[in-house]
Amino acid sequence: MIRKFVGAVLAALAAMAGFWLMVAPFALGTQPEGATWNSATTTEFFTGLGVAAVGLAGAAAFAAAIHAELAARGLVTVRERQREPEPAAPQTSSAELAALLAPLVEALREDLDATDRERRQNGSTTLVASEDKR
Amino acid sequence: MRAKLGVTALALLFLAGLWLVAAPFVVGYQPRGTALTAATVNDLWIGGALAGGSFLGLAWYAADLLHELTTRRGKLRRTG
Repeated sequence: MIRKFVGAVLAALAAMAGFWLMVAPFALGTQPEGATWNSATTTEFFTGLGVAAVGLAGAAAFAAAIHAELAARGLVTVRERQREPEPAAPQTSSAELAALLAPLVEALREDLDATDRERRQNGSTTLVASEDKR
Repeated sequence: MRAKLGVTALALLFLAGLWLVAAPFVVGYQPRGTALTAATVNDLWIGGALAGGSFLGLAWYAADLLHELTTRRGKLRRTG
């Protein structure tokens, strides 16, 4: 852990040194204003650019390694991306609905059969039958 | 894996430091036999610090890794 922290600090310092190298020819006055860049300016600027880029990448890599180690030890919670809500499933399927309604249907059928039997015993006819007789 | 990237970056920074120290003489913007120019002095200081710092960082990393390995092995022997 400490070694990664030291590495991150050193890489960040190197990145700052790279930025300094990029501006040094202008800050120190070794590059005349308005003139084309001399060899010293070109060398320092592009070396500084590379040093700054590598330093930043190194610092980021060490910081990511520290974060991964902290997460592995359980000292840092890793945020999970929120899942998109799934479409709501129907609460009851057709099979469940049929099972629920089956006793009701059976009771209605028994009731209808019983009513039909009573009418036959009393000799009464249905409304449709009496209309047909007319 | 990420730490390996960081170590690679430190190694590259060490090489860049060495290049900065040598650049004034290799590129030729420091005339031989004359006093050091401001650009040369700047490059020597920054290059030396960069090479020295990254070398120390690499050495520290290797030493700490070695220490961790030996500590682990010692614990395994004690428990086994």
